Amino acid sequence: MPSPEPSGVKNKPIFRLDKVSKQWSGGNGFALTVPALTIGQGEKVALVGFSGCGKSTLLDLLAMVLRPDSATEFAFIASQDEPLDVIKAWGRKDLNALACARMLHMGYVLQTGGLFPFLSVRDNIGLTRQGLGLPVKDAVETVAKRLDIDRHLEKLPGQLSVGERQRVAIARAMAHEPSVVIADEPTASLDPINAEEIMGMFTSLVDEYHVTLIVATHDWRRVDERGFRRVEFQLKQDATDGIVRATVCG
Amino acid sequence: MRLNRGEHKHGLETVIRLSLKDYFHERLLSACAVLGLAAVLAPLLLLFGVKSGIINTMADRLIEDPRNREITPVGSGRYGEEWFSAAAKRPDVAFVIPQTRSIAANMVLYNGEGERPHSVVVDLIPTGENDPLLEKWGHIPKNETSVALSNTAARKLNVTIGQEVIGRVGRSVAGIKEQVAIKLKVVAVLPIEAYPREAAFVRLRLLEATEDYRDGRGSEAFGWPGQARPTGPREYPSFRLYARSIYDVTELRDTFFEQGLEVYAKVEEIEVVQSLDRSFTLIFQLIAIVAVFGYFASMASNVLASVNRKSRHLGVTRLIGFSTGNIVWFPIVQALATSILGTVTAICFYLIVEVLINHLFSQYLSAGEYVCRLSLGHLTVALGFTVTMSMMASAYAAFRVAKIEPSEVIRDV
Repeated sequence: MPSPEPSGVKNKPIFRLDKVSKQWSGGNGFALTVPALTIGQGEKVALVGFSGCGKSTLLDLLAMVLRPDSATEFAFIASQDEPLDVIKAWGRKDLNALACARMLHMGYVLQTGGLFPFLSVRDNIGLTRQGLGLPVKDAVETVAKRLDIDRHLEKLPGQLSVGERQRVAIARAMAHEPSVVIADEPTASLDPINAEEIMGMFTSLVDEYHVTLIVATHDWRRVDERGFRRVEFQLKQDATDGIVRATVCG
Repeated sequence: MRLNRGEHKHGLETVIRLSLKDYFHERLLSACAVLGLAAVLAPLLLLFGVKSGIINTMADRLIEDPRNREITPVGSGRYGEEWFSAAAKRPDVAFVIPQTRSIAANMVLYNGEGERPHSVVVDLIPTGENDPLLEKWGHIPKNETSVALSNTAARKLNVTIGQEVIGRVGRSVAGIKEQVAIKLKVVAVLPIEAYPREAAFVRLRLLEATEDYRDGRGSEAFGWPGQARPTGPREYPSFRLYARSIYDVTELRDTFFEQGLEVYAKVEEIEVVQSLDRSFTLIFQLIAIVAVFGYFASMASNVLASVNRKSRHLGVTRLIGFSTGNIVWFPIVQALATSILGTVTAICFYLIVEVLINHLFSQYLSAGEYVCRLSLGHLTVALGFTVTMSMMASAYAAFRVAKIEPSEVIRDV
């Protein structure tokens, strides 16, 4: 297994996690531990592993929609901003502070869906900008053009192909120029050719906007070529309680 | 890392727009909810329309009818000026006027115009300012030479308002028959329901002069000859008295009983009407309560079902970063839209049926009476009420929305 990038990250960090853990008890219990993970600003990170290895759990933790059980440190340091102590915000149940940070600094691309079927493509892409009170029109058209969906702006998502919908989802995650975009298997439901094309557009857009990208994928091959840093998971089933313990290494 | 107030406002605006767009996108389901609400509300509005129309018409007819407020003395007594001024001062008395001896309180009215003369003997009934009977059905004679005729008297005399009749009063002094006449102008003709017999409503002074003349005395004011009437206060054998409202009648009657006066009042009839009114009000309240519960349950289940159905979308809204305070408005806005559209639809249905009902029963109604009627104020209250109810009904759904965990709902199952 190739060793990951050196632990000293060149850029300023955007995420700094130390001993973060999340556990689900029960018969098919699962526990994820992040011993230490620092993600730098502008970095492209791929969470690589089989399904069920904890990729989505880690993404949700990073997206601040899943509460960690414990953490020594969990900081989200968006550009031009004070670091947000995520574990402290969870502790005081300040969900709005987390939501607010998401809206200002994050974009999220789901594997499928996640678009509002009752909003036009234009309104879907511009939603976060609207929520922030930013001007919508030009930014939406620019990002739509870059993803080659500008001719679909007035359509509803239901009128688009799956591939086109994923482009809309990427456009929505990017339109408000966030610091970090989190994508959960964004091309898994696409055919290889489409997946290749969309992933190419996505990464070049991310490079252009200087956005940190965190992608969960089981597509091992192209990750290194595109300049991603790999983050992998070590799985081990506990013989005594049957809980699958995943440890993040990267 | 907090959004300031302005940015918070954008979030709320965006959620409201999302909610309305979703509502419009699902217009078939939304229309079902609207019609469901209208189906509950329209019969309720009709029910209240009928209550406020028919019961109020009945109430106006029965409760406010001056005839039901009248307290009549049985037999004759002796009532002085003091008694009348004391009675007039009572707050529960609307109108009281002395009545002269009934045997002397009549007159022959004569209409000489037309092809053949008409004449009729009428009872003279005293009237004055604030007489409820004449206020409701006619005009009060303003002076001693004006008269308001009952329907039967006017018919037998073949006169209408504005015409003049001649009133004649006769007496026999030491075996010689004498007679005086007075010109009276007809200022009102009362409908048959106001007073069934032949009668003329005149000012008290004309009645007094008539009584005096019959007693052999004269009247300077009317220029009638006879002896001078003795000085000293006048006493009357009877009176006309109306209570302020139907609710004062029983107590007023009991007060007179305590004074030793025997009076007649329509107490039993009044109690029937009052208990009818109370029973109707109670029944309508019960129906309204059941309907309100039905509406509340239907609204709450609608909104809750919709929220459960859309939990993934709402989770995504949360994932994008809208605050809890903003997202809870998603179901509330839709409930508001349903309640406003549903109420407007129900009002439209109601108005159509209202016109129909009032048209069907128009022959039983006099002007200004309705079988079914709701004022603009009532309809506004109905709208305000349903809006408030829908807000309350969507409160639990809003709570559920606030509790949605994005990590549990954003991925396909």
